Amino acid sequence: MKGLSEVVATLSHLPGVVVAMVVGAIDGLIVETSGIKGGSGDNDPRKHTAALAAYLYSKATRAADAARLGSPAFMRLEAEQGHICVVGARDVVLVTIVTPDANLGRVRLDMMNAARSDL
Amino acid sequence: MTDPTVAEAWVAAPLRRLMEDARLISGVMLYPTGRAVGQFGFSNAADVMSICALTSAINASARELGRQLDGKPFYETHHAGVDRQVFMARCVASAQEFLFVGVFDRESSLGVVEIYFGEFQKALEKLRPDSPTTGKAPSGDFEGELNRSLDALFGPIGKR
Repeated sequence: MKGLSEVVATLSHLPGVVVAMVVGAIDGLIVETSGIKGGSGDNDPRKHTAALAAYLYSKATRAADAARLGSPAFMRLEAEQGHICVVGARDVVLVTIVTPDANLGRVRLDMMNAARSDL
Repeated sequence: MTDPTVAEAWVAAPLRRLMEDARLISGVMLYPTGRAVGQFGFSNAADVMSICALTSAINASARELGRQLDGKPFYETHHAGVDRQVFMARCVASAQEFLFVGVFDRESSLGVVEIYFGEFQKALEKLRPDSPTTGKAPSGDFEGELNRSLDALFGPIGKR
């Protein structure tokens, strides 16, 4: 089992991953985060993304539950300039911000493995 | 959700936006002296009166506690209950300080509330209170001020 900082560091080194974070599933606050590539201060998207991604994941969980599909395994939000990927792991969610040209299959696999065995 | 009722019209729009965006169940904006400026989620003036008095006192205590423990005042307080959570913080408009207290449940989260409260603070900074009270010290008539603000929110006693 890796530490949170190691999980975040590993994910953040994947090609195309701009930010990797471990976020509280209930409060939406950042537990551990990688440094940000290409912006900080007012342009730092981490706090907002963390809170809203955790919120969105909680709603997706309820939607999946309402549809009797069980818990969501992986959530990906595709936007014009990239993706937000979220995987739940009990009390936390793993969140990554990813560029459009990233290898999403690799990102998905590593996030799910981390959620399953490292958190 | 019910629309906010306000004693000062300039806070109505930002208060409504905060209520909707942060998915708050109820909230009160007030002067640090305890006089209410606007509220949503309450139908009883006595509840708002209690909340204003308690928030004012908690704010004063938290600031002093911060000074004692950390050398600077605590401006933000969060209490997580079993079902509901309370968030208290300050905001400023035209150099006049205000307090806000909001209640939320599992339909929201502390992170979401913090984000939209930050936007609320920025929106208020651009606004000017209807009747600027910058530098005005408390009149000493705490009960009178409180009752006047409650009359503005809920109507005069007897008509509530």
